[in-house]
Amino acid sequence: MTSAKLVSVNLLAFVDQGEVGNDPYRIDRDGNPYVAVGDGGVVLGLRLGDSVFGHVGDHAAPGACVIHPNDDARHAVVGLSCIGNRAILRTGDAAGKEGVVFGKRGGGERVIVVFPQDVLKRLRPSDQVAIMSRGQGAEAPVAGITQMNITPEALALLPVRTADEQLQVGVRVELSSRTVGNGIGRPMAMWDVDLQVDSTTEGVSELRLGDLVAITDLDARTNAGFRKDWLSIGVVTHGTSPQPGHGPGVTIVLSGPAKHFLVRSEVATHQGLREETLLSRAK
Amino acid sequence: MNVTSNVEQLLTQKLAGEVWPPLADRHGYRVDPNGDAFFLPGMGGVTLDVHCGDPATGYRSDHLEPGLSVRHREQGPNYALQYLTCIGNSVEVSSGPQKGASGFVIGQHAYVLVDMAGDEMRGVTTGDQVTITAVGQGLALTDHPEIVVKNCSPALLSAMPGGTTTGGQLEVHVSAIIPPEAIGAGAGMASEYANTDLMGAYAGLDENLSLGLESLRIGDVVAMVDQDHRFGRGYREGWTSIGVISTGSCLLFGHGPGPSTIMSGPTSSFKIVEDESANLSFFNLVQHRELS
Repeated sequence: MTSAKLVSVNLLAFVDQGEVGNDPYRIDRDGNPYVAVGDGGVVLGLRLGDSVFGHVGDHAAPGACVIHPNDDARHAVVGLSCIGNRAILRTGDAAGKEGVVFGKRGGGERVIVVFPQDVLKRLRPSDQVAIMSRGQGAEAPVAGITQMNITPEALALLPVRTADEQLQVGVRVELSSRTVGNGIGRPMAMWDVDLQVDSTTEGVSELRLGDLVAITDLDARTNAGFRKDWLSIGVVTHGTSPQPGHGPGVTIVLSGPAKHFLVRSEVATHQGLREETLLSRAK
Repeated sequence: MNVTSNVEQLLTQKLAGEVWPPLADRHGYRVDPNGDAFFLPGMGGVTLDVHCGDPATGYRSDHLEPGLSVRHREQGPNYALQYLTCIGNSVEVSSGPQKGASGFVIGQHAYVLVDMAGDEMRGVTTGDQVTITAVGQGLALTDHPEIVVKNCSPALLSAMPGGTTTGGQLEVHVSAIIPPEAIGAGAGMASEYANTDLMGAYAGLDENLSLGLESLRIGDVVAMVDQDHRFGRGYREGWTSIGVISTGSCLLFGHGPGPSTIMSGPTSSFKIVEDESANLSFFNLVQHRELS
């Protein structure tokens, strides 16, 4: 396998405020109105390892979402940022402090960056963040699998090991592609996929931010779509949503024919991305 | 359909639209399920020779929109056009050499899609104005309050076979039953807007992409299993949504021929009957125009 060098690009992004339309209400799947909390912006008190169902929120992500005001530049920021990239605050009260990219969400809209809680408290929307992007184009540890949206170093923090030319992956739960909602049919370098699950779905009650999940019959190398006997692996990067067709979000990191994977469901014991481990990599 | 409804309470609005051009960016290409690049026609403009009853797939096309693709130039009026227009509504061409020609709405796809006679359609192009007589939103079935009806004109409801059974279910005839694995782009979006792309209909591509949906036709009434589209499009066991196939061939991965939703309710409220004639082409919607 040839191994071309990855290119790093410094990007500029801005801490997001989140947006609400002129009507405060969204409609949940039973037709009831609700006010969306935590959909973008700086969200305090939501941590890696927390349940995706544990807070009253809509697509709430831990840490801060960062954006760019120009659409094309924003698409590049989202597309090029990878889990594990360092993010350095350049302005504001916490200038000089660092966080780490944890995921991405929406249609080329937002990058999710985790910061230590004491740093997060000092953030203000519009603070500038420099992301040292690197990782797109990285080769997966096993031939035939496509890797994206994560640096090789961050992948090594996850229960992903090579053995007998297969990739052994420990996940919280393995789900059918039929549970994939918003994000299906969209390019996975730009979007996350929402899981149409709730806390009563089998094997899902323990789902936590930072977990790995496996999605069967999903080819996510470019756009995400149904392909029998393929498998995609992603990191759970935002919490659930009351909206129909939405739910906990997954940033896809690996995709390939199922025969290249050996997936182990660890419903009770799984340990995905840990906040302290991820943040320590930024130091 | 033999069913009691609130049709006499519905209001009709006249809406203006315009045939919108196909759009591209300077890079042109998109990516198919195998990662190969393509540049193909399908969306926007006036797409000829594909009408209700014709195969939905088998064309060298992406996001095939049969007939006229219509929107409004301004955002607010455009949302009014997209949300209020219903399948079966009558459409009249209001400018250009085909002024006065008529057709009917077959669905939505971020554009309102209009079918009309092929010889008249040949004289319509980008920029031509159309007038839609919109009626249908708010339609409710008196004896089936648990079923939400949307995007369905009184003309379409009247023309569909089936109706209330002696057991109290709603009998709906469909040409195909769609498994939940097929639901592609459009999931999570408002069900009064655009449609639900169906995967598994990539005629001629790899077998592991197939969900047996390659024989869908434009205008087919279909039943989507485990889909609740009452307040947006979502997967939900025990719910069924009924739609009409309004778009055809797609090569973009995760996309495909798409139904615009017309009904959604608990699966137990429906009696689904498979019937090859469950297609807009058999419903004489132009003759039903006086109802819409």
